[in-house]
Amino acid sequence: MSPALHPGTLHILNKAPGHSRFITCLANLTNQDTLVLTENAVLAASDADTKLPEGTVALGADIEARGLSDAMPVEKQIDHQQLVRLTEQYARIISW
Amino acid sequence: MTTLIVIDQAPYGTWVGREALDMAFSLAAFDQPAALLFIGAGVAWLRRAQNAAGIGQKTLEKNLSAAPLFGIEQLFAEQTACERFLPDPDSRVKGITMAGSVNHLLEQYDHVVFAG
Amino acid sequence: MSTSLSYTLVITGAPWSSQAAQTSLAFARAVITAGHRLDRVFLYGDGVHLASALSAPPSDEPHWPQQWSEFLSEHQIPGIACIASALRRGLVDEREQARYELSAHNLRAPFQIAGLGEWVDSTLTSDRVLYFHGSA
Repeated sequence: MSPALHPGTLHILNKAPGHSRFITCLANLTNQDTLVLTENAVLAASDADTKLPEGTVALGADIEARGLSDAMPVEKQIDHQQLVRLTEQYARIISW
Repeated sequence: MTTLIVIDQAPYGTWVGREALDMAFSLAAFDQPAALLFIGAGVAWLRRAQNAAGIGQKTLEKNLSAAPLFGIEQLFAEQTACERFLPDPDSRVKGITMAGSVNHLLEQYDHVVFAG
Repeated sequence: MSTSLSYTLVITGAPWSSQAAQTSLAFARAVITAGHRLDRVFLYGDGVHLASALSAPPSDEPHWPQQWSEFLSEHQIPGIACIASALRRGLVDEREQARYELSAHNLRAPFQIAGLGEWVDSTLTSDRVLYFHGSA
């Protein structure tokens, strides 16, 4: 038996705040969706102008690389293994 | 299996839009349902009377007008982006479906793909 | 224990212009560790530069094309560079070198050159298709 799939969409976003695709992605999230910040998008963790949805997570390695460990709660930082687990749970994934 | 290819970059300045179009044509060539969605500055693809001879490129309007012939099911454009970049409806190519809600459209497709 | 899935990774960001090569490789390793299958890795657009045999970064820097090709070989995963993207950007194998009468070929093993049909096949057969774009 495969576990039940999440009804929403997993959004994987790697653009910095201010990038048009960052703006479009955040504007099109629904309550069922989960947002994962990777690469330059993790700058959102310390961006005064960005309000991230409740369940947002970020790749810890990208957070750490940019010196943002204090800006993102540790339980919201995931590794690549956890990212794979998220992709297992969502049939719909958009890479922005 | 339905795929929506999204183009959010203006034509000519990068190759991403052309390569997005190739992806859509490729799906259609294998009889897979494909549609295109133009958002943001990408709606500049939809302007009439393009002529890229002076910048040493092929005019993309022709590529795009071939889309229905190649089996691309629908061409969508973000309404707010069209109002911003192509306010005069007569300046737009024919056969475009306006999408008031991008989010609603994204949800209709199994795959939503950017080419780069 | 979760069910095993099949994945295709599409890389469109070029190494040294983006983080795509690193992020995708870390993800690919995690896919294998989780017990899933990687059906193929497809290089598209600027992503084809990852398959260059001629990349030669300084010896104290990570060599992304080499790391990727070692990973693909070790796990016997097909690595495909889109032919249209590759030819435009000067990435050719021996066959294309002969066909276009070029002076050299530079495709890094085990990468192969093939058409977008490979990507279409992935959209139909892989449980998940993930894209790794540049972030500029």
